[in-house]
Amino acid sequence: MSTVTPSLEVLLALLVWGTLVGVDLVSLPQMMIARPIVAGTVAGAILGDIPTGLKLGIVFELMQYDILPVGAVRYPEHGPATVAAVATAHASAGVLGLGLGTLVGLVTGLVGGLAINVLRRVNSRIVHNAATALESGDPRALVRVHAGGLLRDAVRAALVTAVGLVLAWLARPLLAGALTERGALLLAVATVGAAIAAGSAGTLRLVGRGPNLTWFAVGLAGGLAMVIWLR
Amino acid sequence: MASVKVSLARALLRLFAVQGSYNYERMLGVGVGVAEEPLLRDLADGKYGPAVARGAHFFNAHPYLIGLAVGAAARAEHDGAPPDQIERLREALCGPLGSVGDRLVWAGWLPFLSALAMTGVALGGGWIAVAVFLIVYNIGHVALRWWALQAGWTHGTRVSVALHHPVLQNATTLMGSAMALAVGFALPITAQYLASAFGSWTRLALAVVAVVAFLLLRLRGDRVNGLRLALVFAALALIAGWIWP
Repeated sequence: MSTVTPSLEVLLALLVWGTLVGVDLVSLPQMMIARPIVAGTVAGAILGDIPTGLKLGIVFELMQYDILPVGAVRYPEHGPATVAAVATAHASAGVLGLGLGTLVGLVTGLVGGLAINVLRRVNSRIVHNAATALESGDPRALVRVHAGGLLRDAVRAALVTAVGLVLAWLARPLLAGALTERGALLLAVATVGAAIAAGSAGTLRLVGRGPNLTWFAVGLAGGLAMVIWLR
Repeated sequence: MASVKVSLARALLRLFAVQGSYNYERMLGVGVGVAEEPLLRDLADGKYGPAVARGAHFFNAHPYLIGLAVGAAARAEHDGAPPDQIERLREALCGPLGSVGDRLVWAGWLPFLSALAMTGVALGGGWIAVAVFLIVYNIGHVALRWWALQAGWTHGTRVSVALHHPVLQNATTLMGSAMALAVGFALPITAQYLASAFGSWTRLALAVVAVVAFLLLRLRGDRVNGLRLALVFAALALIAGWIWP
């Protein structure tokens, strides 16, 4: 199994990209670069390995279907997670890369989700403390509180990406060296299988039991026919 | 007239960051106040401050449709509506804007295009499929934000007229069906694409893992989510790989 170590410039580019992706998820501008399929593809392009970016992007895009970001629901953050996953997979080629990359991405996604919750609590406290200034109708106070939230989210996104990239860097010596070929295969099967399941179960929740279920069944039949036809 | 267009453009730009200070106390309220402020600048001195303060009160809705509330509340302030009526208008808009936006975008437009992009990638479209996704998605995204702000500003306190517009209602229904069809089509093709990294026997194992995980998520979905389950499966795989070298 061949391995590749990215340069410092590439790591910095990944950090900047992961930060932009993390900020896009909620704060600015929600143009969906935070979507794993986009985050992964660009991370792959930064690493000069678009196919790996696309593959990990699809794994986490499926995981994303498990989430419906309505109200104040808590969810993992798969954008910077995908960036870290692609960095891991690129450094450890083949099926080992796929399994390790997904594992690192899952852990980073979990950290990202926790960080979002912490940020919202911090923002709540700051908004609570600024209540008098906000009630006075001072637009400068309003903009200051809001800009502070944006800045904190950028710092949060950078930290989550950095954690992901450190995990990517640690994954190889800690796990890749200890894993046999069969172990690497098992890890890839477990994580990719879980992602396919999460995508399918999440979609069914989204579709519900109404008339859309029929459309889903029609689509599924068409997709299966396409798979058979392409073989 | 020109100054209204400039103010609307400023409000639109600020709407892209409406969730920047997301918090559990006022939810998106502060962001809504920031977005509404350019539209309030030409109010008389005694009205401007209280209007800005009202704009930053609790608010929660779908971020792409919040422009409807921003435009409507600002217009109501200009029309001299009583403060309690403006507060009631804001409260009344939270639920419908959230519900319509979630169904139209989060459960429609976004997964529909994401599924097409995944299908495109799986069928060999590569990064071009991803680029097309990003461009097409954002045409709809920006158009929706701009329409919402303009409609809110046009209708003011009678903004429900815009919410009940047949195009919006039909689009919500249509996107749900299109999403279901597209994602249903994408799932087997995407699974096949990911399985191509494995040998034939391993593909069988992948199918078994996917089915078991799917059943667990369907049957115990109240306690288990995809991320936790994937992490548990990964831990089991690492243990199995260590025991069975």
